[in-house]
This record gives sequence, C-alpha cells and structure tokens, in this order.
Amino acid sequence: MEVEALGQHISRSFNEDLERVRNSVLNMGGMVEEQLDRALKALKDADSELGLQVAADDVKINQMEVSIDEECSRILATRAPHAGDLRLIIATIKTITDLERIGDEAEKIGALAARLATVERPSTNYRELRNLARHVKLMVQGALDAFARLDVQQALEVVKADEEVDQEYEAIYRQSITFMMEDPRTIKRVMDLTWSARALERIGDHAKNICEYVIFMAHGKDIRHSGLDNIEAEVAQAVETGDR
Amino acid sequence: MPNRWISQLLFLGAGLAFTLLLGASFGNTGWWLAGALALYLANTLRNLYILDNVLRRGKPIPPETRGLWAEIFAGIEKLKSKSRARKRRYHDLLREVRESTGALHDAGIILNSESEIQWFNPAATRLVGLDPATDIGQRIGNLLRHPDFMSYLENPQGEAIMIPSPKDDRGQLAVQIIPYGKDQRLAIIRDVTREVLLQRTRSDFVANASHELRSPLTVIGGYLDALAEDEDLSESWQAPISEMERQAERMTRILRDLIELTRLESAARDAPHEFVDVIKMLKLIEGEFIGKKGVPTIRVHLETDVALLGSEPELHSIFYNLVHNAVRFTPSGGEVECWWKLRDEGVVFSVRDTGIGISEGMIPRITERFFRVDPGRSRDSGGTGLGLAIVKHALQRHEATLSIESQIDEGSVFTCEFPKERVAARRRAVHVAI
Repeated sequence: MEVEALGQHISRSFNEDLERVRNSVLNMGGMVEEQLDRALKALKDADSELGLQVAADDVKINQMEVSIDEECSRILATRAPHAGDLRLIIATIKTITDLERIGDEAEKIGALAARLATVERPSTNYRELRNLARHVKLMVQGALDAFARLDVQQALEVVKADEEVDQEYEAIYRQSITFMMEDPRTIKRVMDLTWSARALERIGDHAKNICEYVIFMAHGKDIRHSGLDNIEAEVAQAVETGDR
Repeated sequence: MPNRWISQLLFLGAGLAFTLLLGASFGNTGWWLAGALALYLANTLRNLYILDNVLRRGKPIPPETRGLWAEIFAGIEKLKSKSRARKRRYHDLLREVRESTGALHDAGIILNSESEIQWFNPAATRLVGLDPATDIGQRIGNLLRHPDFMSYLENPQGEAIMIPSPKDDRGQLAVQIIPYGKDQRLAIIRDVTREVLLQRTRSDFVANASHELRSPLTVIGGYLDALAEDEDLSESWQAPISEMERQAERMTRILRDLIELTRLESAARDAPHEFVDVIKMLKLIEGEFIGKKGVPTIRVHLETDVALLGSEPELHSIFYNLVHNAVRFTPSGGEVECWWKLRDEGVVFSVRDTGIGISEGMIPRITERFFRVDPGRSRDSGGTGLGLAIVKHALQRHEATLSIESQIDEGSVFTCEFPKERVAARRRAVHVAI
C-alpha cells in the first residue's frame, strides 16, 4: 500500500519530510481528540474549570496548524512532489483545516460546558447529548485511524456514520424545541445544550471531510458531494483497477 | 590425508597409466589422453549438475553416485538434516514464545528506534485496537495519539503513565516503555480501569467520611469548650475535660489534613501558576513560632528574594508543615534553620534541625500517611501523621522534589527544589510620578 510506497524516494530527506508531515498531522489529531475528550468530560462532570481550560488550550492546536501548513508549503516549493506525494500534501493541508475546526468546536463545547455547569441540570444529565458525543468521538478516532493506515474501508464507515449523527442531532433539536415550549424558563439552558449538539454535529461533518481526503489520498478520487452509493461504487471500481 | 582422497588419487593415477599404456601400444598417445580427460570431465560435470539440483532445487540425491562424490553428497545430506532439526527446534521455540505472549493479558509492543511497530501480541489488538494486517511498520504515535503518550514516547522516563483507552470510553491504560537491546523498545500496556476505579472509590470514601465526621466533632468541641469554662465544674472533672478538648482538637486537625490530602491526590492537574510572595510567607511562618514556649530557636536565611508561581495555600502548607515538623522534633535547646536560595536548576527551600533525626531505613517511608518513626512520641507532640504526605503531594503538583538527609540524634535536613519554570522575580512596588 501507499504507506510503503512513501518509503521509496531516492532522496532520503524527502521521505523523512513526508513522513514527518504525516506524523505531525496525527500528533495534531491526538491533541484535538484530547481537547474534545476533555470538553465532553467537563460537560458530563459539570466541571467549569476544566471547560474554561479547554477553551484556553485551543491556541496550541491553532499554532500546530500554522506550523504544519508552513511545512507543507515548504515541501511544495522545494520538492515539487507529484502523484501520491502531492496527494498526501494536498490532503494534509485540507485535513489540518478540518482538525483545527474540530478544535474550535471543542473550544466552543468547553465554554458552553463551563456555562452549563453553573445552572441546574436535568435528571438525565444530558444523556442524549452524551450519546451523540460518543458517536462523534468514535468518528474522529476512526477518521484519524483511517488517515494513519490509509484505510479506505474504515474511511467509508466513518462517512456512513455521519448520517446517523445527523439524525441524532435532528432528534435532540426537536426535543429541545418541545422543552422550550413546555417551560420557557429552561430556554437559556436548552439553547446552550442545542449549541453543544450543533458543535458535535459539525465535528462529525469535519471527521467525514477528513475521510474523504483519505480516500482521495489513497485512490486519487474526489468523492466530495457525491452520494454514498456513488462513493462506494467509485471506490470499488478504483480497487478493482488496481489504482492504489 | 583421508582414505577416500588416496583412493581417488590412486584411481586417477591408474586411469592415467592405463591411457598411457593404450597410447604406447596403439600410437596417438595425445588423442587417448584427451579422450580419457574428456570422460573424466563429463563425469565431474554430471556430478556438479546433480549437486546443483540438490542444493538449489532440493532434489533427492540419486543413489548411483560413487566414490568421492558420494562422500560429498553424504556430507551435504548430513548438514541438511542437521539444519532441518535446528530449524524445527527454533520453530517450536518460536511457537512457544508466541503462544505464551499470546496468552498474556497485558499488551506487548516492540518498537524500533523510530517508534515504528515491529511486533505485538494479540492483547495489543484487544486493548488498543492494533491490526496485525496493517499496522506493522506504522509509527505507534500515529495510532495511539494521546498527547501524554506522545511526550512519554519521546522521553520515556520514570513511572508508567496513564492514558484513556482508545477502545473503551471509561477504560484507563497504564503504559510503560522499556528500552532493551540495540535501539529496541518494548511498550507494555496494562488495563488498569478497575484499579483506577478502586482508587477513586477509596479516596471518595475518605473524603466523604472526613466531611461527615467534621460536623459532629464541631458540636462535641463546642460543648467541651463550654464545659471547660464552666466555673461550677468540679475539680475532678477539669483534667478529663481539658484532655477531651485537646483530643477533639487533634481529631479536627486530622480530618482537615485528610481532606486536604485527598484533594491534593485527586487533583490530577498541575498547580496553577499564580504569583506567590514566598518571602512574606516565610516571615509570617517564622513569626508564628518565634517566642513560643518550649520552641527551639528559629533562624530564617533569605538569600534571594525571588517568588514562586504556584498555589498559595499549597505552598503555605508545604513550608508550614516542614517548619512545624522540624520544631516538633527538636528539643527547646536546639535550633532550626531555614534557607531560601537560588540555584542554577531553580530555587531551593531547606530546613535543618538539630532534633532526634531519622534512621536511614525510615527515610523512604516517612512521607507515607500515618507513618510514625516513634509512635508514642510524635502523637504527644501534636502531629496528625499526614503533614509530610501533604508536603509530598503538594510538591508534586509544583513539579518540585523533596530530599531528606538525616543522622540519628544529630538532626535532619529537608530540602525542596522547585524547577526554574516555577520561579518568578519579586514584584516591587512601582512609584508613579504624578
């Protein structure tokens, strides 16, 4: 697979450059995952201190994005990569943008968690939101794993999971509306809850984007904005023609 | 020379002699000789062909070879069977190793110098989701991405670290990396979810119990206070009541320390970086002990005026506990000296006393909770048995270290070293001209 193909350049330092870029994307991914994790923990445990800290720590992720971006520009300028290498660089530049956005959404959840921690909590302790959060976390994890392994199958699974997440968000949204109609005093709290759910749903979309870049990186096929069935057919065709 | 070589040479000599004889009787000696050599060459070539077949394609050795060649073939056969036996042995050994590592509950992952995965056991698949089909050669940090793990991977020193499990939402894993051989590293990953849960349950229990005990104790203390001041109290009750009061006060102190200790233990994050004026704090602590009855002389040497970045109450309890400890174990004639000085690596607070000292075997244990060097004595002197445990945990939260030197009957030196990152220049009052 491509992972091995990466190790086949005459210039050793070129290999190392590419490998380093790939590794730093995944490092950044790890930081984003931790941020999301902590934001959700803050939400669950009503830990306003942790929530605010998450919001403050987003700076690190932004810095990481800038430095990887610069590294990619440098490689493009000095090495003029083509074929698979070029795809890796392009996919990297796009992936880090999405990762940075996930970081921003985590920051948002952290800030909302800090606010929600100060008000009364429903007896379910936001169970439906935690469910959604678990799915989204798995999606982010799956997307990064797929990036690391260039695993198209896993990428497709994450793309598919996004539909479910969208439905869950929709359900929370509707439920929130009924809550607000029943008891207008809860509006502020429920709005914050809806915003958190919205942030999670957006994170799911970003994870899905990353998976699309993984498929692009592996097969050179751009599958954005095509239906899921088309994507699967395209990928199957790409695998068949041995375009790997 | 072995027999077979002699017979081979003899056979060659005889053949040569026979050819020469033929040449002598029929003429054309040269042609006869050439013919005989050609025959010999053909035979050698044929045997070489067989040898090639045997070595490269693993064909069986034909039984009709004779003489020296038969010996050589037999030798090869022997070597082959020997290596087959060795191979089988290695194979068996390998299988056993594989089976035993496969049966392990802990994940074992072998990494090279680039932190790329070389091998892992089935438990690694179960615990962290590595896939044997795709993940060999993958950098482990790409799959186990937790930032704490990443920094540990770069600098694997000290104790195992804890990371949340990537497979299970509530799972906790302990990771330890052990270098071995030439640039190889072994990562051992253990599922510690249950241990972490137990630990949490325990500290929750201690915290809850302490909180619950505090209010009844306050009530008891209040009544004892009132009783002690009651003028109608009969003489015979005065001593018991004041003793009860003292003990109630001690219990309150123990509970306070227990709550403080649990709080320090459960706070996973580092202490905040707030500006703390150490000079002022040390002067206050000094003032608390100076001039008290039965207390040794105290001298505080402030060799620098730097301040610390940390948590004020925690730093206070570090310094207070250390000084209090020194005072408690030093007779009133002795002396206690404290230093606050700047070093290259950071800043140091040390306390030297001329007290009873601690034997060497006890030193590693004295920061344990409720550990007492001399049980009878320290209880009388009003300690809770938790002071040094609190000091240790509070220091850890400031990335600082505690070292202890001691000599029995001569005294002890307790030294805290704070790293550079925690040192702050002292704030000075700024006068603004109007």
